[in-house]
Amino acid sequence: MLVPFGHLLILAGVLFVMGAACAVARRNLIMILIGVEVMLNAAGIALVGASLRWLQLDGQAFFIFILAVAASEVAVGLALIVYCQRRTGTLDADRYDLMKG
Amino acid sequence: MVRSAHLTQAEACGYIEGPPALIVMDNSANLTIILFLLLIFPLAGAVINALVGRFLPRRAVEALACAAILASLAMAGLALAKAGEGTFILKFFDWIVAGDFSSSFSVCYDPLAGVMALMVTFVSGLIHLYSVAFMREDEDYRRYFVYLNLFVFAMLVITLADSLIFVYLGWEGVGFCSYALIGFWYRDPANATAGRKAFILTRIGDAAFGVALALFFLFFQNFSITYINGHISSLNITMATILALLLLWAAAGKSAQLPLSVWLPDAMAGPTPVSALIHAATMVTAGVYLLMRLFPLVQMSPLAMMVIAGVGAVTALYAGFSACTQTDIKRVLAYSTISQVGYMILAVGAGDIVGGMFHLLSHAFFKALLFMAAGCVIQALAEEHNIFKMGNLHRLLPGVSYLFLAGSLCLSAFPLLGGYFSKDRILLATFLHYDPIYWAFWSIAVVGALLTPFYSFRLYFLVFNPRPDGPRREDLKPFPRFMTWVLWPLMLLALGDGVLNLPGSYGKNFLGNFLAPVPGARPSLNAPPWLEWDMRFGTAGLVVVVIILTYFVYRRPPSGWAWLNELLSSGFYLDRLYLKLIAGPYQVMARFLWREVDERGLDRGLYEGSAAGLHTLSGLAGLWTTGRLSTYLKMLFLGLTALFAALAISWYW
Repeated sequence: MLVPFGHLLILAGVLFVMGAACAVARRNLIMILIGVEVMLNAAGIALVGASLRWLQLDGQAFFIFILAVAASEVAVGLALIVYCQRRTGTLDADRYDLMKG
Repeated sequence: MVRSAHLTQAEACGYIEGPPALIVMDNSANLTIILFLLLIFPLAGAVINALVGRFLPRRAVEALACAAILASLAMAGLALAKAGEGTFILKFFDWIVAGDFSSSFSVCYDPLAGVMALMVTFVSGLIHLYSVAFMREDEDYRRYFVYLNLFVFAMLVITLADSLIFVYLGWEGVGFCSYALIGFWYRDPANATAGRKAFILTRIGDAAFGVALALFFLFFQNFSITYINGHISSLNITMATILALLLLWAAAGKSAQLPLSVWLPDAMAGPTPVSALIHAATMVTAGVYLLMRLFPLVQMSPLAMMVIAGVGAVTALYAGFSACTQTDIKRVLAYSTISQVGYMILAVGAGDIVGGMFHLLSHAFFKALLFMAAGCVIQALAEEHNIFKMGNLHRLLPGVSYLFLAGSLCLSAFPLLGGYFSKDRILLATFLHYDPIYWAFWSIAVVGALLTPFYSFRLYFLVFNPRPDGPRREDLKPFPRFMTWVLWPLMLLALGDGVLNLPGSYGKNFLGNFLAPVPGARPSLNAPPWLEWDMRFGTAGLVVVVIILTYFVYRRPPSGWAWLNELLSSGFYLDRLYLKLIAGPYQVMARFLWREVDERGLDRGLYEGSAAGLHTLSGLAGLWTTGRLSTYLKMLFLGLTALFAALAISWYW
């Protein structure tokens, strides 16, 4: 392995936290969705790295699945966001508070 | 279909107690069919009228109800002719069979049941005919005849049934029908209350019967009356006493004896034929009849016999006094019924069920006669019940007057008429115990017997004798002559039924000999002749004297002695006593449980309190759901971080 596994994990961790921060801090639904995508990819980096580290292809196969799932998730998620925008006229996540206790 | 289960059971045990020759196995199915029809006709009449009566014209409903009872009467006559003096235990079919426990629809047909069934169907038949005329203006005739038929069915069940569970069915049946008929005009709350009162008070007696049933099963593993009467020697005296006293309590409820007597005067709220049927001829005699059926058991315990005699004697006197000042024509008759049933109970307590049955028969005839004649008077005077507003009626309604006179004479035990022989026999049987306590009961009963002519002729003179301010001819309302015609057979029987059991010295002790096969019956009292004749002439003379005195007292309505009047006419304040002592505290307790425990404690305290607590809690939990997506995510990440941190720590520990 050219790159040490520890570095890979650090990169994946940093990416994950950045994605999470994006999802938590941003209010725009599209930005939240992007944050979630970043988190998914961070998890993918960790999986691929681990697969190289232990020379097992399961991790890479798993990441291919994640790619497919992420693609369909984005398709559904964007469609939902478009629908929400049409319905309420806003993309601000904090305005969707019908379930407030 | 025909079996004699108890005989075989007794044989299996290896011994038969009591005279086994009296239990006859009936190999012909005819009697079974006759008795089955006897029971089923009134039930069928009730069911048909209840189900399809609304599609039938009025005449058809009435005809069906009457025909059911008259067919039943024919069956009763046929059965008596066929069975003679034999005792038959016949089983229709099984009812409940579960392990040791079994109860079947079985009848025990002995002379006692035969005579009783004949009397019940005969008197009920006449009352049905009378009701057709009496209820001519009532629109609810269908309900009336359904209950009346059902009542006769239940009474016949009590009369014939062998299994005590089957008896209990009839026992509750008459209770229910009585309730429904007393409160027949239920739109008046007073009538509905009277019905409820009768139901609740007889229920207090029924509870004792229920307990007795459980004890019977415990001691005998069998409910058959014949089996129990045949195996009483396996019982010790204490158990017999307990059972007999429970039966007495049950009988006191049904037969309106002290201390459960207060329902009968109020039961007069029902239509008059109902009073005649239920509260004179049949239902009130059910208690006495039960004691007679189980007489061998009752007889085992001298203490219970004494208590029974005491209850009967004291009730006879108590009700006699109470009858003396009533102003309602029907209440006078009601108290006289309580008093006369007291004599029957006294007869059982004195060990003379033949005398009791004799008096039961005569009483059924003359009391039904009196009540129905009173019904004619009431209808003629436009629902007037107060005897002090009557008078002159001998001139205006001579037909009714003679009928009423005949009834009053029999009730007073006027010499040589029906009630005279029966009441004398009871007094004699009580006297013959040669025991100071029984002598005390005897003297109480004699005083009661002297009150009887007083109150019955007070009633007669007030209602029928001329009075200047009484009703006039133009005040009278016409009523169908038919109502008096049906009373003639009753009058003839009431006057003449003494010949059924003339004293032994005539050699014609007919009813006594006929009832001889009944367990515990004594055909003849074997009294010393001098005593018998002394007592006969003595009571006869006293009765005549009392009637003459009553005539002079009530030539004009007397006044004075208001407190005594008040005391007697309220039945010695027994009602008020029960209201104060039992109903009052019960109401207070019920109100406390309702207001304090249920409404305040449970409803407001427990349920509403816990609901409010949960509401607050859920409000607090609701604060977590802010509706902001970012908050949820922050929480999610915090939770995940904590979870993974915990996992990592536990991993490296």
